[in-house]
Amino acid sequence: MTNKIAPGFKQIAVEDFRLTEEPFYLPLRDEVELFETAYADKVPVLLKGPTGAGKTRFVEYMSWRLHNRGGHGGHEEGVPLITVACHEDLTASDLVGRYLLEGDETRWIDGPVTRAVKNGAICYLDEVVEARKDTTVLIHPLTDYRRLLPVEKRGELLEAADGFLLVMSYNPGYQSAIKDLKHSTRQRFIAIEFDYPPRDQEAIIVQRESHVDAAIAMELAKLAEKVRNLKEHGLGEGVSTRLLVYAGKLIHGGISPRRACQVSIVWALTDDREVQRSIEEVVASIFDD
Amino acid sequence: MSIADDLTTRYAADLRGFGAALPDDFATGVRAMATLLPETAVEAWAKAGVELANSSLRAWEAAAEYFRASPALVDRLGVEGIARWVVLATDLSSRSSLIAAQFLKSTPDALAVLQPDDLDEWAQQGDRLCRGNWKSIALSQLYFQVSPALFQSLPLASVSRLVDIVDQLTERSYEVATTALEGAVQIFAGLPAVDREPFLRFARAVTRASWADTRLYFERGPRLLDRIESSQRTAFLDLAGRVTTEVGRQGFPLFSDAAEALGGLPLEQHSAYIAFAARIAAGSPTAAMEYLKSAAFVATRLNPDQRSLWEREGLEIVTVERNPEGAEAYFRLESTRAEERMRALSTRVELASINSMLRMYAKALSGEPVSVQSAEELVDRGIGWVTESTPTTEGSTIYLPPYVATFEEQEANFQVYKVFTTHQTGRMEFGSFDYAWDVPGTYVAATGPRREVAATMRREERGIAAAKAEAVTAVQRLFNCFDDRALIAGLFTVVEDTRIDALVAREYGGIRRWLRQLQEHEIVRRPKVEEMALRQAFVENLLRASLGMPEAIRWPVMLREYMTEGIAALRMVEQRGATVQDSAEVAGALYDIAASIPNVRAPMPDGKFDFEGATQEMMDVLPSMPGGGDGPDMPSNSQEAAFENPPQPDFRGDFKPELVQLMAKLKLQQEGGVDPGGALTKEQLMELLQNSTELSIAELADGDIDQSLGMFLDNLQKDAGMPASDKKGEKKDGDSDATDGGDGEGPDEGEMPVEITWFYYDEWDFRAGDYRPRWTRVGERFSAEGDREFYEETLRRHHGLVMETRRQFEMMRPESFKKIKRLEDGDELDTDLAIEFHVDKKAGAGPTQRIYNRRNKIERDVAVAFLLDMSASTDEEIEKQKVKHSKDDDDDDFDGDPRRYFQWLAARRAQAMIEPPKRIIDLEKESTVLIVEALEAIGDAYGIFGFSGYGRDNVEFHVIKNLDEQMSDRVQRRISKIEPIRSTRMGPAIRHTIHKLEEYDAKVKILILVSDGRPQDHGYGRDRTEKEYAVHDTKQALVEAKRLGITPFLITVDKEGHDYLKQMCDDIGYEVVDDIESLPRRLPTLYRHLAAD
Ligand SMILES: Nc1ncnc2c1ncn2[C@@H]1O[C@H](COP(=O)(O)OP(=O)(O)O)[C@@H](O)[C@H]1O
Ligand SMILES: [Mg+2]
Repeated sequence: MTNKIAPGFKQIAVEDFRLTEEPFYLPLRDEVELFETAYADKVPVLLKGPTGAGKTRFVEYMSWRLHNRGGHGGHEEGVPLITVACHEDLTASDLVGRYLLEGDETRWIDGPVTRAVKNGAICYLDEVVEARKDTTVLIHPLTDYRRLLPVEKRGELLEAADGFLLVMSYNPGYQSAIKDLKHSTRQRFIAIEFDYPPRDQEAIIVQRESHVDAAIAMELAKLAEKVRNLKEHGLGEGVSTRLLVYAGKLIHGGISPRRACQVSIVWALTDDREVQRSIEEVVASIFDD
Repeated sequence: MSIADDLTTRYAADLRGFGAALPDDFATGVRAMATLLPETAVEAWAKAGVELANSSLRAWEAAAEYFRASPALVDRLGVEGIARWVVLATDLSSRSSLIAAQFLKSTPDALAVLQPDDLDEWAQQGDRLCRGNWKSIALSQLYFQVSPALFQSLPLASVSRLVDIVDQLTERSYEVATTALEGAVQIFAGLPAVDREPFLRFARAVTRASWADTRLYFERGPRLLDRIESSQRTAFLDLAGRVTTEVGRQGFPLFSDAAEALGGLPLEQHSAYIAFAARIAAGSPTAAMEYLKSAAFVATRLNPDQRSLWEREGLEIVTVERNPEGAEAYFRLESTRAEERMRALSTRVELASINSMLRMYAKALSGEPVSVQSAEELVDRGIGWVTESTPTTEGSTIYLPPYVATFEEQEANFQVYKVFTTHQTGRMEFGSFDYAWDVPGTYVAATGPRREVAATMRREERGIAAAKAEAVTAVQRLFNCFDDRALIAGLFTVVEDTRIDALVAREYGGIRRWLRQLQEHEIVRRPKVEEMALRQAFVENLLRASLGMPEAIRWPVMLREYMTEGIAALRMVEQRGATVQDSAEVAGALYDIAASIPNVRAPMPDGKFDFEGATQEMMDVLPSMPGGGDGPDMPSNSQEAAFENPPQPDFRGDFKPELVQLMAKLKLQQEGGVDPGGALTKEQLMELLQNSTELSIAELADGDIDQSLGMFLDNLQKDAGMPASDKKGEKKDGDSDATDGGDGEGPDEGEMPVEITWFYYDEWDFRAGDYRPRWTRVGERFSAEGDREFYEETLRRHHGLVMETRRQFEMMRPESFKKIKRLEDGDELDTDLAIEFHVDKKAGAGPTQRIYNRRNKIERDVAVAFLLDMSASTDEEIEKQKVKHSKDDDDDDFDGDPRRYFQWLAARRAQAMIEPPKRIIDLEKESTVLIVEALEAIGDAYGIFGFSGYGRDNVEFHVIKNLDEQMSDRVQRRISKIEPIRSTRMGPAIRHTIHKLEEYDAKVKILILVSDGRPQDHGYGRDRTEKEYAVHDTKQALVEAKRLGITPFLITVDKEGHDYLKQMCDDIGYEVVDDIESLPRRLPTLYRHLAAD
């Protein structure tokens, strides 16, 4: 049986992937400057903040920006971005690489971190606290001045290529104490804080990302601000910019604003009927239909 | 010699022995009879009389009555009748001469109604009441005394039924029987003829069901009936009778309540209500009465159409579902179903049903931790708000009317609540209370300081003393600049509300249309402006303009320019970006205009000042501030009226910025915040209160103004969380603790009132098969603290046990890693599997690649809540284990030196002597200590709670240790203090514990209920002895726990079979622990079992 592949489908090795277009990122404070400086000085970066606040988008933007500046290795080489979504079962081999059996042979496959190290890429460990602590320890030698990655199974030490930078994201909001970042890990990064943008800026983002008109974008941003006032009611961190963008996209596609907010915001946030009801009422107060 | 003389002489000797009058009575009687009857008959008559006189000891008294009454009766009775009559009397006399005498005496009156043939029956009825003892004799006599009067209103057959009733009563109480009989005459005379029979029929039913209620019925019945439509009384009484026959002792209370309720309904509707009740009664008599009882209330909520839907659903519970208990609860309005149905049908919206939703809504909008409450509660606080039906806020809480029924549709009424809430949150969100002194607005410069100087000069000129104290708040200072505080306060309110409305309409597009609807609703309800004095009319017209309806303005043509200027000024605050500072300035400018208009109500004869509609110019005017000029040139021929503000529109509610700023200030001070203004003096506060137009002191007290202000101030300070002023005085010298305030743990904690937080829970009514909504109220508080002695003593005494339990539990500590085998990838290679793999491969047998292992860390994530029964029944002793206890059972403290054994034994016995017998509660407490020690060893989260209480709205929930609380000295002291208190309403306590566990984040949750297995509380079941209701509710609560993924477990500390829970809780874990010694052996196994994933 052969796997069918859609025409035009592209399969690219992670390290070869490059963004072809400038991602839209609206800087909120001095994060761009901080990152650039850290990158130049090879200082690992921790992005801290709630989900959907733009961390991933920021890293993408930075990789594009650094790449197109041609700062490192010129235009062609650029700074690729290798992203790893961390989870509980992530093992060291998942990051570094492993032997696979191929018939009678074994074959070594580089893990994403190894690839980033070899290619001088930005290695982005998303939601790093989700990974087990004993896995995270593995990256420690990469963060100090030696920038080394031990590959135990092969008995090798890899020295990170120029341009390599370790970036992690971390959401302090919803993790329980058990799942906190180890101090020894945390101490190896500078931290850039992300939070949901103020109303006006958030409206600009929503407008750009979802193509709704400015007035609707503004109302959505207002809604977000109001809903975030309800943080303690089991809503975690409140509605994210990402959800607002979803709502905007639905509205732009012709769904009525109330309905769009219901499916993309109200229901995404909570299962508590009463909280849902009150958020729906806030929506109904802001949007006429 | 006449026969009369002859007889007189013949019986003279026989009659002489009795009272002096008897011979005379005889002589008179015989003479009269001789004229009426033939001789032989007279002779027989006389003979019968004399025999009667001799028939018993005092029978001559009866004979006297006989002699006296006979002549008048000859006509009625005839000879034979008289003869029969005296036989009856003689028979009665054998019971008691008194009875016979009364019988004879009353006969003429009785015969006014009765037929001669009835005499037998009549006599027999009286005879029935006599049982030989003196009380019954008196009763029987009373019967003959009152019955002639009774016959006026009741036929003999009915009286006979009354006698039945009285007779039954005598079995219980002669007093009650006598009262009933005495009262009957009046009662039946007072009742309309048609009601008498039915009244009596019901009386019989009542007496059979509950004799004591007969008296109540006789006392209150007529008055209750009086309020029921006359043609319906029979039907109602018959219904009540049927119900009573079925339900017994509850019958009369049901009747009484239902009659009362019916009395409150319009007379013309009684027949429909009673007819419907009769339909219900066929399936459930009680439900029928409950239906009538709640009818008046239902009528306030539902219109007739909705009501018939409501009724039909209830009837179906009886006829279709055949669930009489369910119907009872439904009509009693005590089932969730009833409540939901009511809510669905009613167009009226209750605050209670949307309260928490609105709270979150308000919180979202304002970004403040606001709460939402009924305005009734604000009024109760006595801090200056007096209307229960208007929305308002004091800055931190939003007060709303308890219900809204403004419109015909539920949705519209709900939207009214939203508009109310949005306007009030708007005051917070848009800063209505943030007015600051001498800060310019977005559009208008600050004029405060200039006005303040002018005001001082004005007052000096007029010789009015300057304000004694400095203003406390910025709003007060602002208002101080104006001579007429009512006017400036009123204008500020209108202007600020205009600004808020404009902002709400702009910011909340979805509210706009409902706001508009309320404005329209309001405008047609405004008072007539034409009847107002001019200045008031000016303010009223501004208000109309501010409601977005300048076309509703009515104003004299001559004065148009003032109105136009006023509206233009008002429009200033409708502009984007206007702040409360702008509002204050605009209010000031409007004040200047208003003050220049005389407050006269005098249409001029020339028609120049007639009121007319708004001009186009007024309606289209652009925002601008007035230029300032002179007032109108008006002949001041008429008296100026005192200025009064027109009423506020409902949806805007009360606005009291002065008070709100004051409260905020008091709070700030209380919290130890630094206030640039320095501490407030009492003088300052009193001045504010005295001058403020926001309080109506008149409503507070008629007495001394100073006193009521003082009280007021106390309330305000209390509200702001300050100690009341009298206590503050005592603390003055110790300045240090007055300043840091807060909730520091002073040594005088004992005096602090316990802080109680209330929670509401539904209760399960197994008969109705439904929950009673918000039926119980649980008050959570920290348990009182005792000394630590008990705790330490228990540890000491059960040292050995404690150690053993700990050991057991420590062994349960989580194995920190768990190995997962046979993975395609992992941390380590499994050698065995790897070898297998190679073998398989060589053998070509399709080897498995799953040869890796991984260790996963297992985190223990258990939370357990212990719920201890602290009810009075735990005060009981536990059956003593006499012999068992004596020997080597508990020898932890024996050091094993044989020489000291006897000494030890003696001491031990002596101790057993003085030691009070152990109660259930002691066992609970000791077990708790043990459990605490054990759980500390294992490290699981645990909470300890106790419960007791009295009645459904006072279930006490004592926190000994919260789930997230650290074990501490205080916890130990709380355990020591556990004492049996009141009743046992287990259901709500379990539900609250569930709530606590729900709030705690853990994978495994356990609820362990430690009790004596006897749920019992006032009203927890039909009466005190009923257990079923309580047991069912408790079981239901435990089932709820299970549903939420909590494992419930019962530990019962009693083996005496008083346990009502056991039978119910077959599918719930259960264990009897009758002595503490068995706990350490049982606990770990038990716990391990429960806490297993
Ligand atoms: N500052 C920003 N500039 C542009 N887009 C943003 C910004 N912040 C958030 N977004 C939008 O929100 C979405 C979610 O952001 P993302 O980076 O995925 O969040 P995170 O990684 O923090 O969970 C993005 O896809 C983007 O549309
Ligand atoms: Mg992300």
